Amino acid sequence: MSTQTSTLLSQIEMRDLVKRFHHQPVLNHLSLRINDGDLCVLVGDNGAGKTTLLRILAGLVRPNHGIVTIGGADPISDPQVRRFIGYVGHQPMFYQDLTALENLVHYARLYQVEAVQHTVIQAIQSVGLTPYQDQPVRTLSRGMQQRLSLARAALHQPSILLLDEPYTGLDQDAAAFLDDTLQGLHTPGRTILLAAHRPQRLLTIASHVAWLKDGVIHRHLPVDRLGEDPELGRYLQEVG
Amino acid sequence: MKPSVSYLAAIWTILRKDIQVEWRGRQGVPVMLVFALTIVFLFNFALQLSPDLQAGLAAGLLWVSLAFASTLGLNRGISLERENNALDGLLLAPMDRSAIFFGKALGNFCFTGLVGLVLLPVFSLFYPQNMLRLPLVLVMLLGLGAYTSLGTLLSALSIQARTRDVLLPVLLYPLALPILIAAVEASRGVLTGQSLGDVSSWIYLLLAGILLFNAGGLLFFETILEE
Repeated sequence: MSTQTSTLLSQIEMRDLVKRFHHQPVLNHLSLRINDGDLCVLVGDNGAGKTTLLRILAGLVRPNHGIVTIGGADPISDPQVRRFIGYVGHQPMFYQDLTALENLVHYARLYQVEAVQHTVIQAIQSVGLTPYQDQPVRTLSRGMQQRLSLARAALHQPSILLLDEPYTGLDQDAAAFLDDTLQGLHTPGRTILLAAHRPQRLLTIASHVAWLKDGVIHRHLPVDRLGEDPELGRYLQEVG
Repeated sequence: MKPSVSYLAAIWTILRKDIQVEWRGRQGVPVMLVFALTIVFLFNFALQLSPDLQAGLAAGLLWVSLAFASTLGLNRGISLERENNALDGLLLAPMDRSAIFFGKALGNFCFTGLVGLVLLPVFSLFYPQNMLRLPLVLVMLLGLGAYTSLGTLLSALSIQARTRDVLLPVLLYPLALPILIAAVEASRGVLTGQSLGDVSSWIYLLLAGILLFNAGGLLFFETILEE
């Protein structure tokens, strides 16, 4: 990778991105740049393409057209770039018969994390799951699995975190715990892009809001300038 | 920047995980074994053949049992990755994605190989031959190597399909026919007292299958899994 990438590893750039499913465009010449250290909340209606956008950034889906760069490099063609990305999707990505500890050890090995056992134990501790670390994942609640997913995504200390609707299916306590965990994960130099259907609770910790509508980024504003955009303000009020 | 995960380390990590999951859940090998043993028992009692005919049929029955049982294992191997989108976790890792193919193919080979090794002595009980002989074990492992490589490639192809549970056998059996014929012929040759040199043409076909299907995995696995 170039020198530029090593200095701006948490910068995300998408240019003229197009993704079609069955000839229907989901993303339609979308461009967006998220700067180093931002916590950007991606909002939009169901089916707007938030998940597709995050999966493209994670290198899980190839766009039909356009350029995606993470620190100047393409996450699909350059496997090394994926080391700088942590991703939490709709599903927890765990093997149900393995324990929480065993699952994270597996992922730590895939990312060639140093001091695997120590790092994994620390990661589990950071999300408050130490008492459950030796239980099979299938015995953990949805909220616990979501917390474990966050620990998995942050295990290799990525400079970019992509989180897809992490609050879905969580009760109040679990959501409050997730708020704290998210704040803890937003360390200097780490960029977080978080898709949320109901973004209100995130506006206190977010730095930016990006509104995905009709396959393009309709608005991209710092949170402290939301008052200047009544249309986006109304939308955020409506979705809650 | 750290180097990307070494290719062999990634393959080993995936294989080790598959062994760990199998050990913990015991949902693959025991099912394959019960299925294969049932076929052996059923054919033994149904056919009631003379010892001479049984000897000729043993190779065919061995491969019918292994092929059908392996398909169960292949389905289990890929459903494991489909459950909770665990496959995404592998695709996200900083490694060449063909390592996933080799890790999964090796896992499938180990599990079906284990079933085969248990099956051979059972065959010896019913058929008038000692099946646990080195040349036959070698032929079986070569045949399973080719069969599971092709099966792993096709199971990845079927993962995106709505009809994935039926797609794998529908694709696998016709495409694996040359491999199965070569495996049956080589096994029969060995069981009727021929040396490995005498059945070398069939063994070369099995080796070609291993090379071809693994090259296919190396080149096309990532493309097959792409959305």
